[in-house]
Amino acid sequence: MALPIISRGEVHPEEIEHFFKFVCPPADGGDNPDPQPPTFIARRDLLETLDLDLADGGSVRMWVFGDPDDPDGGRQFPGKTLRIPLDAMARIEAGAKGGPHTIHWHGIEPTPINDGVGKNSFEVSSNFPYQFQPREAGTYFYHCHVNTALHFEMGLYGMLIVDPPHPQLGAVTYPDGGPGYAAAFSPFTGHVIPYDVEAFWVPDDIDSRWHTLGHMAFMQDCDRDDPMAPEGFTQDGFLNDMRPDIFSLSGVLRRVADPTPFTPANSPALVAPTVGVGKSLLLRAVNAAYATAEFVLGLDADVIAMGGHALGVPPFQQYSRPFRVSASTPFRLTSAMRRDLLLRPLAAGSFPCEIRLLHSVTGNLLYTAHTTITVTA
Amino acid sequence: MQRRKFLRLGMTGLTALGLGSLAACGSSRHNESGGAPFNGNGDNPGGDAGGSDSGETLVQLSIEEALFEMVDGSLVYHWAFQDRSTPEVDRPHLPGPVIQAVSGQPLRIEIRNNLPTPHGFAIHDLPEATVTVPPGEVRELVITAPAAGCYLYLDPLNAPVNRLLGLHGALLVRPAQGPTPYSAPTPAVTQLFADLGTTGHFPPNALSPAGWQSERFRIWLFHQVDPRFNARVEGGETLDPAELAANFLPRYFLINGKSGAFAAHDEATTIKGQIGQPMLVHQLNAGLFTHSPHLHANHVYVTAINQQVQENVVFVDTFTLDALDRVDWVVPFIRPPDIPGDQRIPLRELIPNELALTIEGPNGSPGVRQSPLLYPMHCHNELSQSAAGGNYPQGAIAHFEILGDIDGVEFPH
Repeated sequence: MALPIISRGEVHPEEIEHFFKFVCPPADGGDNPDPQPPTFIARRDLLETLDLDLADGGSVRMWVFGDPDDPDGGRQFPGKTLRIPLDAMARIEAGAKGGPHTIHWHGIEPTPINDGVGKNSFEVSSNFPYQFQPREAGTYFYHCHVNTALHFEMGLYGMLIVDPPHPQLGAVTYPDGGPGYAAAFSPFTGHVIPYDVEAFWVPDDIDSRWHTLGHMAFMQDCDRDDPMAPEGFTQDGFLNDMRPDIFSLSGVLRRVADPTPFTPANSPALVAPTVGVGKSLLLRAVNAAYATAEFVLGLDADVIAMGGHALGVPPFQQYSRPFRVSASTPFRLTSAMRRDLLLRPLAAGSFPCEIRLLHSVTGNLLYTAHTTITVTA
Repeated sequence: MQRRKFLRLGMTGLTALGLGSLAACGSSRHNESGGAPFNGNGDNPGGDAGGSDSGETLVQLSIEEALFEMVDGSLVYHWAFQDRSTPEVDRPHLPGPVIQAVSGQPLRIEIRNNLPTPHGFAIHDLPEATVTVPPGEVRELVITAPAAGCYLYLDPLNAPVNRLLGLHGALLVRPAQGPTPYSAPTPAVTQLFADLGTTGHFPPNALSPAGWQSERFRIWLFHQVDPRFNARVEGGETLDPAELAANFLPRYFLINGKSGAFAAHDEATTIKGQIGQPMLVHQLNAGLFTHSPHLHANHVYVTAINQQVQENVVFVDTFTLDALDRVDWVVPFIRPPDIPGDQRIPLRELIPNELALTIEGPNGSPGVRQSPLLYPMHCHNELSQSAAGGNYPQGAIAHFEILGDIDGVEFPH
């Protein structure tokens, strides 16, 4: 007897335009439909290409954001960090080149047209001023949301930090690396605390097979009359198959066979930080990989924020509380998760830390990044 | 003992058995005979078999084989559960029908194995709830419904082969009473549910009773398919589970049995409502792939992980859903907080042009309006946004629709 065939779903005639938009979003640009007077302005162009060198003499081509206001173009991987004062009326002007792109502000929650998801609004074909007003200080990131499996992996992302006001100076942004202030549960200081040193730990996995592809690799055909036509689907893609051969920690690259640790001698202070005894280190951990990232710190750390929001702070976070992760106790972040950790080392020394990347299906270890937190007397 | 038999109730992506709640399927209400309220406010859209009597819930399933069409039109062989109480109208389901029960009440599950190999039925992480069914035979599993929460049922034999071939589904257990979806909520979860719709940061929607409404929930059951292994089973091979686990390369990523545009436009999966109408989402992962679901426009409260009601309820935009995990989110349906401007002004007055906007599409498409507000939930392990290795975003995705303002006025559409 023939087996029953169960349908994948139906496209009703009145839904065709919605399905078509899902498959082939409109591309547009121009002015924001409901502009607010900005108090913070920045620009990001995408995409730019950037060839990053590896220790063995090889290189890998990345797609990165540029900053047209930077005299040198601002091309870097990850993209230049955006630091925005809390409650600022932010206007970020996106310039798309070489095809449509968007910028999604991960963890920031604006209207759909400012959210940077093409199928829910539009893709930017030229220029568009995104706007939002961040109401929670913390750790976020921005990335392109077009053919995202590819564009995010290729390097189209950067850190976005929303800085709380300075107790005396009011709305400001703080320098990368510190010192500065962060949102954290602290009722007697208005839930804002100081830190001395800041680090970004942003692990990423890179599959160099992907880095020869075009912008719209393996996308579906646009058929207005039958957007879900089976013949419109590509069948030869491999964007479900991640085989990382390069590891990145906040933009510092290693072949997966290269166990060279990330040290103060060979890495930026944001990656291998140094802090004094009795001082504080704010460690912003973001998983930009598709693999699961397992962090093991050589020091006790207090998790003060998750997902860009400070734990325990009323009203929305009053159902949570900060918690301690003891030294040598692993914790895991899957893709796009963030944790802010505050460390107050009590003794000098060089404290080894590991970031392990684990395969999404097997859990097998793909790479171990060795880095250190150096504590000076 | 009185035995009740409940009909299959849903016709969309998820079907429901047991309590008879069409709410699980996002459709209209159903009420077979009335019963005790679940949420303490007198509203019992879930219908029958509440905690007021000792009535037994009977579920009758069979294990079948079928070809399921993937999002790109390819047909993939699966094993699947089917509701045996109405075989004339039912068909195999991927995932299996949602079984609903009330905590503490008897639950009898009959499973007929219509395949030529042994199969089983178990509730994951409930060791007492497991039974093996020889080919062509029927076996029963009788249990007392456990603490409230959403459980994963599956065929535990030759793990993970049989569950990956399609033999899995959700068991939703509701509490006999109380204002939360849990039998023993923690203080933090109790406070959260007490605050929804009653506090300044969770103002009530003008059209809704204050508080979370027990019918406002969804189940998102994630699943992945590597058709190479399904084809080998179709050819009669008995798979080595270790080989499968080591070589499983998902080609299709599904939520509630659908992918991409079909999942996003499935009423059983979409979360929608006005500002001030919170919703509960039970997430389960029947596959092997580590998901990282991410919601746009609202952070979510993680209220339970693998049946552990949380003491520390974090408020995040992305959270892990590992293989076999069950994770509950409360989506508060607050106004997307980072929309610029005075938050006291209704959104329809603050963003009138966006709500009135229609953006023309390519190829002469007339475009789609920007109202109501539409956002995605997607897994951020973006490999899962592919189908057949590409075709972004035809993978594990759902839609989040905000239909109107806090004062009950709908956005234009």
